Amino acid sequence: MTKLLASIKKEFLLLINDKVGLLLMYLMPVLLVFVITLVQDSTFKLVNENKLEIIIVNNDEGSLGDTLMAQLSRTGTFHVEQKKQLSDSDIQKTLLDGSELIAIKIPERFTENLRAKAKNVSIGMLSEFELADTSDFVAQDAVPPLKMFYDPVLQESFRFSILSTLYANLSVIENRLMIEQLYSEMGFDEIPTGMEEKFKENRINIDQISANTSSGEIIPNSTQHNVPAWSIFAMFFMVISLGGNIVKERLSGSFIRLRTIPTSFSLVLISKLFVYVFVAITQLALIFALGKFVFPSLGLPALELPSNILGLIVVSLLSALSAISFAMLVGTYAKTQEQANGFGAIAVIIFAAIGGIWVPSFVMPSYLQTIGMISPLHWCIEGYYTLFLKGGDWYLLTPTLLFLILFNLACQILIYIKLKIQNYI
Amino acid sequence: MAAIVEIQNLSKQYSGASEYSLDNVSFQIKRGDKLGIFGPNGAGKTTLMSILCGIISPSDGSVTFRNKNEEKIELRSMLFKLGYVPQDFSFYPELSPYQNLMYFGALYGIPKPELKKKIEELLSVLGLSHVMHKKVGKFSGGMKRRVNLAIGIINDPEVLFLDEPTVGVDVQSKNAIMTYLEELNQQGTTIIYTSHHMNEGQEFCNCIALLDKGSLIALDTLDNLLSQHEEKSLEALFLRLTGIEYRD
Repeated sequence: MTKLLASIKKEFLLLINDKVGLLLMYLMPVLLVFVITLVQDSTFKLVNENKLEIIIVNNDEGSLGDTLMAQLSRTGTFHVEQKKQLSDSDIQKTLLDGSELIAIKIPERFTENLRAKAKNVSIGMLSEFELADTSDFVAQDAVPPLKMFYDPVLQESFRFSILSTLYANLSVIENRLMIEQLYSEMGFDEIPTGMEEKFKENRINIDQISANTSSGEIIPNSTQHNVPAWSIFAMFFMVISLGGNIVKERLSGSFIRLRTIPTSFSLVLISKLFVYVFVAITQLALIFALGKFVFPSLGLPALELPSNILGLIVVSLLSALSAISFAMLVGTYAKTQEQANGFGAIAVIIFAAIGGIWVPSFVMPSYLQTIGMISPLHWCIEGYYTLFLKGGDWYLLTPTLLFLILFNLACQILIYIKLKIQNYI
Repeated sequence: MAAIVEIQNLSKQYSGASEYSLDNVSFQIKRGDKLGIFGPNGAGKTTLMSILCGIISPSDGSVTFRNKNEEKIELRSMLFKLGYVPQDFSFYPELSPYQNLMYFGALYGIPKPELKKKIEELLSVLGLSHVMHKKVGKFSGGMKRRVNLAIGIINDPEVLFLDEPTVGVDVQSKNAIMTYLEELNQQGTTIIYTSHHMNEGQEFCNCIALLDKGSLIALDTLDNLLSQHEEKSLEALFLRLTGIEYRD
């Protein structure tokens, strides 16, 4: 026990003497989490909170152009800015120069053409029942299309969702016009009172339910992704300090001396494990505290801790152990400190990229999502997602915990084999 | 004087090497000896010392340690009574001499109060008291050598292995180190020493082992060897027995 305590104390002294290592382990992740959260927050807000700036050039002389604009405003998705008398090239120039990403141009005689179209459709329907005469068809030009201009930076999926919103709102207008025409053809001046309300009531509602096991609904935001994501990245980036430290000790005379002393290199590794678990947990505590208490004062969303605190502790400890085991593995197999630092850093960056630390895995191609499953960082972030966004049910956490336990075991076995081959233990 | 270390048919062939680094070497080291192991580069000195300290295992042969009652002791148990001062600086330069000694001393299981007292004594004798809390990494070469020695003897070893303990140090540090080693030997510590400084070896050692190409080519007291080969100095004897050709 005395040997272990002395070894832990030595590791701690080495750690606090490594100023660059400390900066890398504490300051770097704090800066990263601040900068990335601030940058990503606007993106999350675009999806979750902000209204999309949209220009509407309404050239319609009738009322339906205004109706469409009013309906788009009421969706809550758009902030509509109306502009008049803009040519197509003017609109394109406005989009390229300004902050707006979308513009819609409503053509001239939009109302007139829609009404004519609705009248012809309703006459067609009634004539099928011999309630109208096809000679009542009105002469109609082809309805000129609405034009949607978009900034090329706009993602395709986002553009399609705007297009869907536009089609849905146009359908509402067209359907209403058609019903009006049907009533008109049947001799009613207007739709009977209450009928319009009945149409609305008849619409099938869609309830949106977030798939999580807790009672409250948590909306994903930049904080809830970035705080755990960059905490994990910081923990795994310990490979620079710890991996290099192990190589240094292994190659230095101090390790040769250790082999002439009645002790084992396992003791050195265990003491490193203790000290670096402490480092990892303090990194987590620091970054989580920033997310919880400092972010709101910067206008960023506050970190909402999950209800399953025990789960949070278990996932955090297993993530920390995985990071340390990985660093030890690199330190044990690397032949030089430069090798450990270079390989370790690159490996962590690749693991982070494919593991969903920088961007969530679900936006990646499916083959990359499959490859990403080999990344320990992927399973760490999955664990935190389960806790933060899905209610943290133990059943849902099981695959994550199993993978991390197996990863740790595999690393420790490989470390043991290498040290045994080299007669270190 | 009874033997403290018995080396029997010791051989070592490193994996991938075509030749033996140590080839069937047998001899005894008597308790209280100051044995100097000399030889040209590649003779097998470091290999022999590494096997004796337990750093590497021999390919063949055995090393037996004996206590004062001439009972055999396992190497694992003997490690508590062995001291090793490698040629490379084998400490943590980020730590102070005091912190280094506290760590290595604790690994020998020395109780804290006793360890603190021992550290203060050692650092005082080796002229390091005034820098005991400063980082070793900023010390001069001579000071680092003294720290290296202090760590090797923190456990009051019965057998002390020294691999070039004075290489690259100033005259004052060399004098301090050799004087202290002499004192240790007077107190009963058996010293096994390697160096390329023949004059230092001639002055310090009472017994000489000469290795060449993995084989033991001479072993006796210095006086016997000099008279036997009619040479006046260890260096002349060394050149006569190992030749004047360059060794890589």
